[in-house]
Amino acid sequence: MIKKAIANTVLKERVAQAVFTAAACCCVLAVGLICFFLVVNGIPALAEIGVIKFLFGTVWQPSAGSFGIGYMIIGSLYVTAGAMVIGIPLGLLTALYLSRFATQRLGGALHRGIELLAGIPSVVFGFFGLVVIVPLIRQTMGGTGLSILAAAIILGVMILPTIITVSRAALDAVPENYYEGALALGARHERCVFRVILPAAASGIVASIVLGFGRAIGETMAVVMVVGNQVRLPSAITDGVRTLTANIILEMGYAADLHRGALIATALVLFVFIMAINVLFSLMKKRAGI
Amino acid sequence: MKKKKGTEKKLLTAALRTVLASILIASLFMIGACAPSNNASENNAGETGNGAASKPINVISREDGSGTRSAFVELFEVQKEGSDGKKIDATTLDAVITNSTSVMLTTVAGDPAAIGYISLGSMSNTVKALEINGVAATAENVKSGAYEIQRDFNIATMPNLSDAAQDFINFIMSKEGQKVIEDNNYIAADANASAFRSNNASGKVVVGGSSSVSPVMEKLVEAYASANPNVTIEIQTSDSSVGMSSTIEGVLEIGMASRALKDSELEKGLTPKTIAIDGLAVIVNNDNPVSGMSIEQVRGIFLGEIKNWADISA
Repeated sequence: MIKKAIANTVLKERVAQAVFTAAACCCVLAVGLICFFLVVNGIPALAEIGVIKFLFGTVWQPSAGSFGIGYMIIGSLYVTAGAMVIGIPLGLLTALYLSRFATQRLGGALHRGIELLAGIPSVVFGFFGLVVIVPLIRQTMGGTGLSILAAAIILGVMILPTIITVSRAALDAVPENYYEGALALGARHERCVFRVILPAAASGIVASIVLGFGRAIGETMAVVMVVGNQVRLPSAITDGVRTLTANIILEMGYAADLHRGALIATALVLFVFIMAINVLFSLMKKRAGI
Repeated sequence: MKKKKGTEKKLLTAALRTVLASILIASLFMIGACAPSNNASENNAGETGNGAASKPINVISREDGSGTRSAFVELFEVQKEGSDGKKIDATTLDAVITNSTSVMLTTVAGDPAAIGYISLGSMSNTVKALEINGVAATAENVKSGAYEIQRDFNIATMPNLSDAAQDFINFIMSKEGQKVIEDNNYIAADANASAFRSNNASGKVVVGGSSSVSPVMEKLVEAYASANPNVTIEIQTSDSSVGMSSTIEGVLEIGMASRALKDSELEKGLTPKTIAIDGLAVIVNNDNPVSGMSIEQVRGIFLGEIKNWADISA
């Protein structure tokens, strides 16, 4: 009787384990399939266009058969850099405040607000940008308003939750005796925080920045609505550019043959970017020990 | 000593709290200021009147391959001859690219120096449609042929159509179907259509293609549901090119296109049918003093040769 019960439990255990393993495999399988799809479809197009011509070409005119994403790579980097300029100081100071300065009540409320920010769909960010940020830039700085600056502001706010949560975790993980030691040496609270705790959490903070960078460069919907999407080299931050992600979403529906291949190759380039960022991130995570 | 530190800390948190509060108030103020500042700009534009006259033109276009863009580029000949003598799209690289009619509308409605184009059926009073060569962009002028910037909405089918699909097409081309088209601000392709008589087929038909055609197609499907409830119609919205290729492959039974069919598509066996006629409106901001242009002026703007509103008013 007892033997039977044990056998039953073991069986249940086995079944549960199999279910969980299958679920985990699905996850990895999805990543593997996407990789496979990008490589199989992107490489032939890359070979036909020529890698150098594709990556450094500046003319994107599918109807005339020229596929160069050089300006879009630059566009993506500009927009992302702009987002970092806005997102890093804001995010870092917020993380510091939440971790070391805020009272429990205020900190809790802020934390909830930041969680809410992370939950806002990107298309809502884009729409907000289109009806609020873009006209504001147009009125104060001229041009169409659809610009690198508009995209940078929107993305800068979008990456805040990522930067804040990861940096805060790193700051919270700094052992309390670092702080106490600094206090014992006569440093004031803010000096302890900025000179002792901040450097101690540096690698975790850099990891948060890398993660934010990945999020910004991969964002599509919010960017495509506010960035103007011109394939050109911008001369000011009020000029529009086209990012790699915007290029894919704008033309995927219409593309056929080599044009389609070129868009998949664009996705491949983006994928390589993000892979590199993720590898960098996991290396930093190892060093930071979080 | 310890006590002093305590008070210091308290002071600091108080200071931080004040800073935070002021930031909150400032951001609230900024958000609040946004709406009035919009109004202010409208007032300014109204007062200065011709103030927009010396502004650079902000050209807004659609993405490469959109049915609306290809129709626009063809109608206004915004094209250059390529090396092989084929005409290719030559829209200025400085043009802002939007990927939908609604973003186009929002952008032009908010920018006093913008110019764009949309389907006449999607026209709204948030923007102003320009007269082209002195003819207003209205459904009446499209119908009479006086407004020449117009294109056909087509459906395309392969041979051996199912009875259900044939019945739906018969409905579209009937008096009832064409009335639905007229009611939605498009021009009926056949003004003297006869009343609908169903062949009482049943089944499911998948229709797909152009996002410009699909709003009116949805209305047609709604009306058809009461005419023959035995047939269910499913609409898949993508774009003209995908609609045509999917119909050739047999994924769709009826494809929708907001442009004329290409020779390559006709060669593969598609039979087109015009179900409605749509005008293309060239749109500007409501505050823009310009009310009309010639075809050459529109062409010059989209080629990037005319860059300032001053050159238009003159």
